[in-house]
Amino acid sequence: MIEILRAGLCDLVMDLGRPGLGALGVPMGGAADPAALAAANHLVGNDESSAGLEITLSGPVLGFPAGGVAALTGARFAAMRSSGAAVAWNETLVLAAGETLSLGRAQDGCRCWLALRGGLAVPQVMGSRSTFLPAGFGGYRGRALQAGDALSLASGAGEVRLLRAHAPSSERDAPLRVVAGPQAGLFDDAGLAVFFSHPYRVDPASDRRGLRLSGPAVTHGRVELASQGVLPGAIQVPPDGQPIILGWDGPVTGGYPVIAGVVAVDLPRLARLRPGDAVRFVTIEVEAARQLATKRWDIEELG
Amino acid sequence: MQSSEKKPHPRVKPKTGQPSLPPTWRWVGDRGLWVATGDATLSCYFELVSRNLPEIEDVIPADGSLLLVLRQGAAPSADLRAALADPLAAAPDTCGALHEIAVEYGGAAGPDLLALAEAAGMDAHAYIHSHTAMEYTVAFLGFQPGFPYMRGLPEALHAPRRASPRVRVAAGSVGIGGAYCGIYPAGGPGGWQIIGRATADLFDPARDVPALLMPGDRVRFVPV
Repeated sequence: MIEILRAGLCDLVMDLGRPGLGALGVPMGGAADPAALAAANHLVGNDESSAGLEITLSGPVLGFPAGGVAALTGARFAAMRSSGAAVAWNETLVLAAGETLSLGRAQDGCRCWLALRGGLAVPQVMGSRSTFLPAGFGGYRGRALQAGDALSLASGAGEVRLLRAHAPSSERDAPLRVVAGPQAGLFDDAGLAVFFSHPYRVDPASDRRGLRLSGPAVTHGRVELASQGVLPGAIQVPPDGQPIILGWDGPVTGGYPVIAGVVAVDLPRLARLRPGDAVRFVTIEVEAARQLATKRWDIEELG
Repeated sequence: MQSSEKKPHPRVKPKTGQPSLPPTWRWVGDRGLWVATGDATLSCYFELVSRNLPEIEDVIPADGSLLLVLRQGAAPSADLRAALADPLAAAPDTCGALHEIAVEYGGAAGPDLLALAEAAGMDAHAYIHSHTAMEYTVAFLGFQPGFPYMRGLPEALHAPRRASPRVRVAAGSVGIGGAYCGIYPAGGPGGWQIIGRATADLFDPARDVPALLMPGDRVRFVPV
């Protein structure tokens, strides 16, 4: 069991999501960087689809009354253990009974993932343990964690091995690769030129439903579009010309023109963006995008 | 010194990113495939779902189109191209289960009903009669889990969304958005014109089929 002694800004139980339910109006959801959660699970000996915590910008203080085995991946946060031991990222951490793990603010990036041996034993809802905040289901009671919550862990199988993971290299400042369309044709040359040549800032109103961008307005002839299916990474342009990149918990249909879609291998990079960060876009052909393999995490035995 | 002349407006006409696709198909990113399906959207949807093609992770019906979500790294197969070879010529949509939905019209439950009735040149009674006389078809779900976009609204009842969305619309609210009638499964912000409230539980994630109304289902409203 773990106890939430102090909640972070938005601590959410996440696994790899619930794909395949778009026709019910339910987005795929799940960890914003699934490979980072899977790596953390690997470090504690879990199945990669076990539920862990996704922690955003400012983290919780967690009590381990019976001890436990944990691992952190993703953005570095200020972190402390009550034992005084260092809190290494991307490594198996063994916590003694009664220890606390305190996470502070994110030092770089936006989100980290905490896996716990056995995995968080919240009920599956529609095939997943991921929290879906907009409709309040999944995860722990459909909400972010609060001080006083206590979460059960399933029991781990096999011996605890001390492991270290190596995150794939990341192109922090490279433009996000997008496939133009399906409605790029509704934008005039000036609108397209603005979108593809200026950096946009991530607005503080962003969340898992969408990254709201602010910058030069992307102009388009005012058009009423029929509602169309959309998916994470689709970049909508509402009438005010400020683009929105749909996120993991975004709607499954929308009526705004979609100027471009972020390619699948670059979606985890969206998870790192924090308010104020700049993003740029560059087009790539769809066949070329498909050849880009998701970068792998390497795992090695420690000592 | 450089001259202070203005830089020319950048001309970065992007490539289309949409090579070698049938004319009614478009990519949305590299995993989403938008396919125009017109009036055959539901029959194409059921056809694709029944074929259970391995490269498809999800099929999302919408207004005259489908979005296919492909598994990461997968390309559209010959089977998929064949299934959607001529969607606009496919059989017209056929319909599913009939639901009767009890609705309390007007008053606090339907704050926009009187204004809509007036705009349609009817009294409230005639408006409600007109709304309940039709059989609706669920075209697709979206906006919220379980939110049905229903076709079949009489043309006189079509109404634009509110200029300024409400901060909170009650769960069960029956609304008009353009040519569609919808029901809000959960409370929250909403821009549709609200004419009444249904007591049915439209979405319960704990049910085997969480959404009460599924694409293709038919609906009749019964005033209470």
